[in-house]
Amino acid sequence: MSKILLVEDDEIMPKIVARILPPSEYELDHVSNGKEAFEKLEATNYDYDLIITDIMMPYANGFEILSRVKSPDREKTIPVIIVSNAGNEDMIMEGFKLGADDFLKKPIIPAELLIRVKRLLMKNK
Amino acid sequence: MLRSLFESGVFIYGCTMLFLYALLAFMSWRGILHFRKKSSFTDYAQLLESPLTPGISVIAPAFNEGITIIMNVRSLLTLNYTRFEVIIVNDGSTDDTLEKLIHEFQLVQVNFAYNERIVTQPVKRIFKSTNTAYDKLLVIDKVNGKSKADASNAGINAAAFDYFLCTDVDCIIEKDTLLRMIKPFMDEEHMKTKEIGEPCPECGYVHVVEDSRRVIATGATLRIANSCEVDEGVITRVRPPEKLLPRFQEMEYIRAYVLGKMGWSTMNSVPNVSGGLGLFDKEIAIKAGGYDHKSFAEDMDIITRMCAFMIDNKLKYAIRYIPTTQCWTEGPPNMKVFSRQRTRWGRGLGEIMTIHHKILFNPRYKKLGLIVLPYNLFFEFLAPIIEFTGIVYYLYLIITAQVNWHYALILLLFVYLYSVMITTLAICWDQLTYGYYKTWREVISLALMAFLEPLLYHPLIVFFALRGYLFFLIGKKSTWGNMQRQGFGKKKVTTK
Amino acid sequence: MLDIQVPDFLEPVVNTFRYAPLAIQVAMVFIIIASLGTLLAYYSILRSRYRGYQRDKKLAFLHPKIDNLIIEEVLTNPTLLKDDVPVAHVQLNLEPFQELPLHKKWAREVLTERIIHFRRNVRGNMGELLRNLYLQLELDKDTMKKMRSGHWEKKVQALVEFTSMDMSIADVTILPLTNSRNRELRAAARHAYIKLSKNEPFKFFDVVTEPLLMWDQVELFRIITTTQNIAIPNFARWITYSANKSVVSFCLKLVVHYNQLPAVPAIVKLLETKDHYLRADAINCLGKLRVPDAEDKLIVMYSSQPLHCQIEILKAVGRISSGRHVDFLKQEFLHSTDFDLRKNAAKSLVKNEWTAKQVLEELLATANAENLRILKHCMNPLIKY
Repeated sequence: MSKILLVEDDEIMPKIVARILPPSEYELDHVSNGKEAFEKLEATNYDYDLIITDIMMPYANGFEILSRVKSPDREKTIPVIIVSNAGNEDMIMEGFKLGADDFLKKPIIPAELLIRVKRLLMKNK
Repeated sequence: MLRSLFESGVFIYGCTMLFLYALLAFMSWRGILHFRKKSSFTDYAQLLESPLTPGISVIAPAFNEGITIIMNVRSLLTLNYTRFEVIIVNDGSTDDTLEKLIHEFQLVQVNFAYNERIVTQPVKRIFKSTNTAYDKLLVIDKVNGKSKADASNAGINAAAFDYFLCTDVDCIIEKDTLLRMIKPFMDEEHMKTKEIGEPCPECGYVHVVEDSRRVIATGATLRIANSCEVDEGVITRVRPPEKLLPRFQEMEYIRAYVLGKMGWSTMNSVPNVSGGLGLFDKEIAIKAGGYDHKSFAEDMDIITRMCAFMIDNKLKYAIRYIPTTQCWTEGPPNMKVFSRQRTRWGRGLGEIMTIHHKILFNPRYKKLGLIVLPYNLFFEFLAPIIEFTGIVYYLYLIITAQVNWHYALILLLFVYLYSVMITTLAICWDQLTYGYYKTWREVISLALMAFLEPLLYHPLIVFFALRGYLFFLIGKKSTWGNMQRQGFGKKKVTTK
Repeated sequence: MLDIQVPDFLEPVVNTFRYAPLAIQVAMVFIIIASLGTLLAYYSILRSRYRGYQRDKKLAFLHPKIDNLIIEEVLTNPTLLKDDVPVAHVQLNLEPFQELPLHKKWAREVLTERIIHFRRNVRGNMGELLRNLYLQLELDKDTMKKMRSGHWEKKVQALVEFTSMDMSIADVTILPLTNSRNRELRAAARHAYIKLSKNEPFKFFDVVTEPLLMWDQVELFRIITTTQNIAIPNFARWITYSANKSVVSFCLKLVVHYNQLPAVPAIVKLLETKDHYLRADAINCLGKLRVPDAEDKLIVMYSSQPLHCQIEILKAVGRISSGRHVDFLKQEFLHSTDFDLRKNAAKSLVKNEWTAKQVLEELLATANAENLRILKHCMNPLIKY
């Protein structure tokens, strides 16, 4: 059972992701902005195996989530996949500079997301 | 003789004013309907992925904002846009504004190629963040210049992009503001040239001049944030202000922006872009000299100078307004602050009229000289004076018992009902743009203010405007200084 | 003339009106107009609120239902797991969709909107299947109806729906619209044409006479770069022959995106244009393509250029970073009077650092205060621009 945190302000995306990642293997938590994500992370003491996040969101955007999750002070780093519709070169570069493990541009191919999630989880085992 | 001249003068003046309001209402209605149709299928979000998206520098001066600065900067940094930077100008704060910024955003001092194209008070230090997540942030620490204009100018000097958004740190900006406000710039053809004259017979060179209508500024509606629910710099629930004074202001803002500026925008005669929120073409703003730090109405001043610059150089320009509310500002909650703000506006308007008197009625300046400034002279600047003399004259007639009460009441009722109608229409147009309030009760309770306004709020405005003119005339060096910071962000709105 | 019977209580009003001077008569008329106007405004405020409320209620009811249906019937469709069935032929189970009030137009509209929203989030087989749903529920008929409507905004809506659904439309339907006098409609038709035309998607580049505005370019760029199975032509064709400057400038951006090196000769030729904005675009393009051969030519023409072209040349030299023109950059950095020129020269020097290390060190040691600041600015990795 892998715990995944999905940070996404679109209302449809979580429903789709919930379908792509079978509930028998993944425990999916959904929050809709950066602030809620931080609250959730603090509350669970960063107990997640993977974070899937959008970039453009109110309160704190995906980059801030990245910089906090990937901060060197953390003993355990959580892999992060960015899924965003803002996909120009600068944004992608910025995401990787901050330590993103993967970048998917919307619209996503479901099978691709599943494979990438699996691969990242395997790598971090 | 003199008397009938005065009376017919006032009559013509009044009729023109009423006609103009009707015209504005009609034009803004058309503008809003068109805007609505257009934005129903406009996908603003595509700017986020395009490599062609223009860059924007967001400039926000801050003076002693220590309590809210972190939250506000965070809110600016999470605007929905890809190519932008946030420039916070710490205008010599005496509290811990700068320390808080340095600590929270992990700032370090850098050597910055600061080009002082507009002269300001000296810039002391410039900071960047060491954290890549905040690499859009730039903080300027400068000597206090006693005005927002001076701080904004420093921000313009440091700005990297071709467009800059001028705002206040204490304003709350909608997330999609940059996406929506840059669109009018992209809707006009830019950088078009035209060849004029015959080619030179020897070298074959043809003189090339610029021939495009350039959008030099856009504005959007501002609203009062006093009773709205705000969560860490994001508006979560819109409400008309509960207290009477801010509620009148909300109504006034809606009328001034949705009906006034939107109407002028369709005729390309926008008189000013609010200092609380405006997106400008940097090149033109700098060439026009930036903000005037001595002015009491620097936002109207810079627009007038930018327009004059364009006309002087025979360039076509446009200023656009969008009807949606993009910015929320704290309105003066009590009479003391309110009176100071309005007196300042009155004074600023007086200044504009004298500083730019060469443009006024000058046919060379076309719309600017023949419509925009004369309108502001007659119906903004002179309105309080004419109203005041009208009342005095009326009192004189009453005392000398020359009043036909019957007719006088009819006239009064007419003016009263007409002003109620215009205000109600403005609120109706606003509802057409977007239903900001959640319940119909809130809308109606705001609309009902229109009935009280001519009796309670309007006399106040007239009084404070006159006080402003008086201060302007005697050149009173009042205790503005840093005290004035209370009204730091509250900008001129067309008053009726 | 005014013999109409008036009720008694209006008698004094009518009498007043009859004997009043003109100004008062006008005022009385306007009192009535203003009252009616105010009432009308109140009525339309309340009506629009009520309608909005009704709509929200309907949507709150419909959206979860639609989402569930789409997820159950489309996203978890078993055929998605099989490789051998071509998705386009999958017949969906439409039975459950009957629980939606699809006999009503607004419900169908909401469903279409929602399908488009889903398609904005997923593509691939799931996206195809969503398209099947749209077709099999015959929602395209509604779109076609909108297409035939006389209102331009309906037509635009239809075009947007067709393009987001990847529906092909006959050229004869779209082509006339690409020259419509309505700007919005014209733009939407062009986008649809590029995306959906099977024959020559770039045909309208040949004929378009009005300028492509920045906004149009953003939309076109997105459509061209995201449409699959589109044959990308050599854009040099329009760079050389198009008389429409905005088309040329747009093609330059596409050349950069597709890294079309064969277009370079056409772009170098464009440097001779009299339009300095276009020339700046061409220089910019050469820099982004990193064409070292163009460098010499740029430097030769440098001195005769207006400021923004000079800046573009400096940027291009930095981007190409051949290392052959470090001296030129150094000269500009030291001796130019314009601040922006010096800044861009410094930036480009830093980009040439692999060979200009010594020059940079020398400059750091000898430059005056302002130049030193510029240099340090450009060398600081924290500062992007």
